[in-house]
Amino acid sequence: MAAREQEALFLGDIRKTYHTPSFDVPVLKGVNFSVWKGEFIGIMGSSGSGKSTLLNILGLLDKPTSGVYRLDGTSVETLSDFELTRIRNVKIGFVFQSFNLFPHLSVRENIEVPMVYAGASKSLRRKVSAEMAEKVRLAHRLDHRPTQLSGGECQRVAVARALVNNPTFILADEPTGNLDEKTGNEIMTLFHDLHKAGTTIVMVTHNPQYEPEYDRVIYLRNGRKWRIVDNVNHTEEEFDTRETQ
Amino acid sequence: MKLSDQLSLSFTNLMLHKIRSILTSLGIIFGVGSVIAMLSISEGAKREALAQIESMGVDNIILSAKKPPPMGKDVSDTSSNSNYETYGLTEIDRQHILHMDNVASIATARNSRKPILKGTTRLNVNLFGVTNDFLEATRSVIVQGRWLSPADQDRNVCVLGVNARRGLFPIQERHVVGKVIGVGDDAYRIVGIMENTKGTTIQGIGSPNDAIFIPKAASDAIYGKTSFQRVSGRTSIEVVEYDCFVVRVLDVSYIDFTSKRIAAFLEKKHNSLQDWEMVVPLDILKQREQTQNIFTIVMSSIAGISLLVGGIGIMNIMLANVYERRKEIGTRRALGAQKGDIIRQFLFETIFLTSIGGSIGVCLGLLIAGVVTKYANWPVAFSIWFILLALFISAVIGIVFGTYPAWKAAQQNPIDVLRAE
Repeated sequence: MAAREQEALFLGDIRKTYHTPSFDVPVLKGVNFSVWKGEFIGIMGSSGSGKSTLLNILGLLDKPTSGVYRLDGTSVETLSDFELTRIRNVKIGFVFQSFNLFPHLSVRENIEVPMVYAGASKSLRRKVSAEMAEKVRLAHRLDHRPTQLSGGECQRVAVARALVNNPTFILADEPTGNLDEKTGNEIMTLFHDLHKAGTTIVMVTHNPQYEPEYDRVIYLRNGRKWRIVDNVNHTEEEFDTRETQ
Repeated sequence: MKLSDQLSLSFTNLMLHKIRSILTSLGIIFGVGSVIAMLSISEGAKREALAQIESMGVDNIILSAKKPPPMGKDVSDTSSNSNYETYGLTEIDRQHILHMDNVASIATARNSRKPILKGTTRLNVNLFGVTNDFLEATRSVIVQGRWLSPADQDRNVCVLGVNARRGLFPIQERHVVGKVIGVGDDAYRIVGIMENTKGTTIQGIGSPNDAIFIPKAASDAIYGKTSFQRVSGRTSIEVVEYDCFVVRVLDVSYIDFTSKRIAAFLEKKHNSLQDWEMVVPLDILKQREQTQNIFTIVMSSIAGISLLVGGIGIMNIMLANVYERRKEIGTRRALGAQKGDIIRQFLFETIFLTSIGGSIGVCLGLLIAGVVTKYANWPVAFSIWFILLALFISAVIGIVFGTYPAWKAAQQNPIDVLRAE
């Protein structure tokens, strides 16, 4: 679909080991892949495959033990917490499984939160939040509270919130996990619309039902990349995940 | 994040839990309330004492005649029922003191020791022969007519203190100036009414409001320097030249030195006879201030402890608050809130909490002070400084006890809280 020319993010031999007093737990054992701008990537894997850890690393919430992570051309492994937070704010749009909206804020205010932390002026926030609400078809709900919305609407608010700072990519963590099938499909449609408009999306999920909808699906098993399904070029690759070291 | 956004965020969060916020700041409310009430009451007491003492004049040294304690001979001598005594301050004392350094002037008074009667009732009023500067020396004012003038020196004129006027004339009688009163065999024309509004009492004279004043020369001419007095069946003859000196000094900073010098002089001159007394209002003032300061320190400590307890209470609640809002903090961190943003958010919440508590406390304190004035009849005094001080203290408590919970909030690892469902 998208021409694979511009790199949005690159992971090179990402390893993550959790240290406990008695033994070390390797969770990621060398993960490599790139995401191109405009791609819609699915990361799948069963529980314990390391996808949550990978999600945290992708979202700059956690640091890999070793490896290279380049986001929009910037290597992020040596950056300080302050700089990482800044990048999280402007280059990553988070969508969570449980929405994580602030119940006491209106839809508009919820959408504006990342802009507030970016230091945007009130007038700009008002303008952009209205645009984003329009994009997720919630313009008529701007002054409602999240508690007055359905689950699907809440997730659409979260998507709008993820978009406000025009991020390099959207990082969605099981965005349909808390929704029924019909609403989940609506959200997937929304992501597709965004994708068509050129937004880069990385979605972590364990729901294989949506596999054909992604440009590429990266399967994790045992802390390694196991299979890549490329729905654009219609190819499929498998990798050896046996313990070799 | 902009400061205005930060402040409005913190304020909004507080307003979400109004009752909890109020309950949390109860400690501060009562702490600040007690500080304000304590300061008002102690300041009121201080000002009243000050006013009282200042009314005697801080640049004055007041000397008064005192009947010396009876000597051995007088006590055993019961055969005679009369005695003759000379005591008190003399003209020689006056002249010596007047020539000392730092002494500007001496206002004098002598009690005629004549009973003042209304009909047959003896009034609690004394007749004094005074110098012309006596009015000023006692910080009194003329409310009607005029004060004694130099031209009056040998005339039979008098000025009444307001209480003496009330004693002698019915309240309905408006025009007493120009009337004549009789004291013993003598008659005096009233030329004025004077009042001391500061509640001054002078050793040896009492309140000027209770007195009748005549010119010194007239007093000398009519009564001489001797006064007779009957005390419980005994007729005593007392010779007192002066009952009171109000010595005004030129420079208050040397008043200590001057008073010591006068005391040393009188000690020597009167052969160690205790027939005089000295009051230095400034000394009393200093003593009062010292006592007041101790009182203030003790009260401040108590108020300080209650503020401390209030602060700890707030810290406790804020820590619980941070725990309860882990998910919010994690989400904010993921969406781009810096650690500093989180710290400021919680710190401002605490400062708002303590400042609002402090403001309510100020109102409560003023209320308590008001109630105290009304029912206990204690004087209270407010100052804008108390209020500013209380608010400043509240904000400082907010910073001191809000920093740890805020820091704790910023340390939350967003991964842990985002995953904890």
